[in-house]
Amino acid sequence: MSTASGRAATDVATAPPGESPGSPAPRKTPTWSERWGRFDHKVVPYLLISPFFILFAVFGLFPLAFNGVVAFRRWSLRNPAADGWAGFDQFTRLIGDDRFWNALGNTFGIFFLSTVPQLFMALIIASLLNRRLRAQSFFRVGILLPYVTPIVASTLVFSQVFGRDYGLANWVLGFLGVTTELGGGIIIDGVDWRATKLTSWIAIALMVNWKWIGYNALLYLAAMQSIPKDVYEAAALDGAGAWTQLWKITVPMIRPMVLFTVVISTINGLQLFTEPMLFDTNPQSASGGTRGQFQTVGVLIYQTGWKNGNLGYAAAMSWALFLIIVVLASFNAFLANKLGGGKR
Amino acid sequence: MKWTRSRPASLLAVGAASALLLTACGGDGDPEPGANGGGGNDNGGDGEVTLSIAFWGDFGLGPLVEQYEAENEGVTIRLNEGEFNAQHESLQQNLIAGSGAPDIAAIDGDYIVQFREQGDQFVNLLDMGAGDYEGEYLEWKWQQSMTGDGAQIGLGTDVGGLAMCYRHDLFEEAGLPSDRDEVSALWPTWEDFIEVGQEYVEATGDRFIDNATNVFNPIMGQQPVGYFTENEELAMDGGPRVAFDLTTQMIDAGISAGIPAWSDEWNAGFANGDFAVLACPAWMTGHIRNMAPDTAGQWDIADIPGGGGNWGGSWLTIPAQGDNTQAAYDFVEWLIQPEQQIAIFNNVGNLPSQPALYEDPAIQEHTDEFFNNAPTGQIFSATALGLEPQYIGRNAGPVRVEVENVLNDIQGGNVSAEEGWERAVSDAERAAMD
Repeated sequence: MSTASGRAATDVATAPPGESPGSPAPRKTPTWSERWGRFDHKVVPYLLISPFFILFAVFGLFPLAFNGVVAFRRWSLRNPAADGWAGFDQFTRLIGDDRFWNALGNTFGIFFLSTVPQLFMALIIASLLNRRLRAQSFFRVGILLPYVTPIVASTLVFSQVFGRDYGLANWVLGFLGVTTELGGGIIIDGVDWRATKLTSWIAIALMVNWKWIGYNALLYLAAMQSIPKDVYEAAALDGAGAWTQLWKITVPMIRPMVLFTVVISTINGLQLFTEPMLFDTNPQSASGGTRGQFQTVGVLIYQTGWKNGNLGYAAAMSWALFLIIVVLASFNAFLANKLGGGKR
Repeated sequence: MKWTRSRPASLLAVGAASALLLTACGGDGDPEPGANGGGGNDNGGDGEVTLSIAFWGDFGLGPLVEQYEAENEGVTIRLNEGEFNAQHESLQQNLIAGSGAPDIAAIDGDYIVQFREQGDQFVNLLDMGAGDYEGEYLEWKWQQSMTGDGAQIGLGTDVGGLAMCYRHDLFEEAGLPSDRDEVSALWPTWEDFIEVGQEYVEATGDRFIDNATNVFNPIMGQQPVGYFTENEELAMDGGPRVAFDLTTQMIDAGISAGIPAWSDEWNAGFANGDFAVLACPAWMTGHIRNMAPDTAGQWDIADIPGGGGNWGGSWLTIPAQGDNTQAAYDFVEWLIQPEQQIAIFNNVGNLPSQPALYEDPAIQEHTDEFFNNAPTGQIFSATALGLEPQYIGRNAGPVRVEVENVLNDIQGGNVSAEEGWERAVSDAERAAMD
């Protein structure tokens, strides 16, 4: 009642603006074209950019917030009767859960084995591509090919290459005389790639590196193009070799780009999911090997939530991962900034 | 007319944006609008109906579906085959979400308790008239899919009475008896089985069994108590311990090829002769046939060591959220009729769970060329009749996955059997908790 009457009152006060006593000569009512013009000018731009914000709100912001709520609730798919608020129980369980710490260790291990060589190789490749080369465009486009390959397709191929009994990698190792003994006295050529932490990490890191080196190299190359050539000429006159030039001139001058790639690969590296998931003998199990030797946090969250049906606990894990990424990405950004001698 | 230039463009953009939003919201709508004209209870046969059926492996549905579609105009059946565990998990997700479940969902014994506890999510088939078939089924098969308050959520398809498939040609080469009765006499117990395996390995240098998990599961099926007691308490020290110890003895004896089950390498192993025996419930025979068609006639079937047991076997259920539950029931009812059940047995080997059919000449006299003309009908119906099935807990599926992982790890030489058992227990406890 009260709102309705309130609105009516406002309507009365503002309704006939043209006839209010102190106003100047009544304005001509705007034509449709003018109205449309004002609408087009004031509202349409917002409408045009709205799809992104709507999609972000629906698929980004809402899930993030909702996930935060779920993290404090019990929510089991397998046992729908068990629900209600859990308080901090799931976070307490997380701290004592060696599977989570194992997964976090794997994530960091693979992250280290992939990001460091990846950015380093990208830097070298970019500085090579920055020189005068024959078929320059061919090489520049060529290094981006792994990036446009669908990740599932490339992982399945790599998974075959690292197969235990009929894999290409083991076939080569077999020629080199490398053999491994399994339980029950079975001897195979090469190594059982999925069996130990180190070998499985190397295999997965290789997939990640293969995919991302070219992408990072192109970013670095773009940044390098903007470095004035005379800086290099001056350095060369002073007797600086290619290596010194790379570290003393190129890296400091492309520092913003290095910072960007370090932060992006930190985020991607800690969210690693597809490669370890599909590398498994049974990709549907999401167990990251027979004892979780290459189960990353991303895979563990998937396993907890969708395989074991414990959505509440999985949500708590996602939030923990989110916080870890924020901390680590800031720390890496700080490090990368130092690397170039920056003062920011 | 200053703004005219941009008008069509902006209209287009606004239109496109709203269209995008609308489709995003309506994406999960009913894929076949004409299907539920009768308010979700139309008679199958009237109008156009599309039924989806989710399963794994080979249920022998292909030719039957074609026949049913031809006989029932307007009915289209969409087969949705997927990985075993994943099919059950996605069914569970769809039940919680309230949409997306198939019209007909197959459920395996490992998961039936979990789903029957949510009986209100499924059509009570007794309301549809399924009560008429109670007498046809093995009693325990009928009981396992009943909810606590007496609703029936599924009609049984097959049972997994256990037998042992073996390569008689490889046995002969190894100097072992190859006749199926003599082979059965070789191994009354699993200990005898291990000895035969060692003889085989010494004679040929090849491995005897495919992997540890594929003997562990059938031994589990022979135990009076499985992973869980009837009070849903995890009982790892009972049946699982016995099966685990026997299995690790086989690994230590060096008779296992250590090829993870259901992997590509395992599938290739059937054709390569990487192993000579495989525990086979009736449903496994279809898989061997599909994987190694070139080995036809080289396989045979003997008794399994250690007595009778069940491994696997499924039900067909109808999630209540579907629009075409009546049409779905009509199809399921048709599938469980004797002719169709016998056709499935003849095509892929899945043994029906209706004992009256075992007397049928089509099953009694059935021999299988692929298995050296073994009388598969007699062999498997005998295994099914003697069964005393164990109680299967709500979390039996996830617990089995954990224990299988540990066994694969022991087989890979990464953990000792003793450490492995400790891990199996703690992982099983964790899986039972979620």
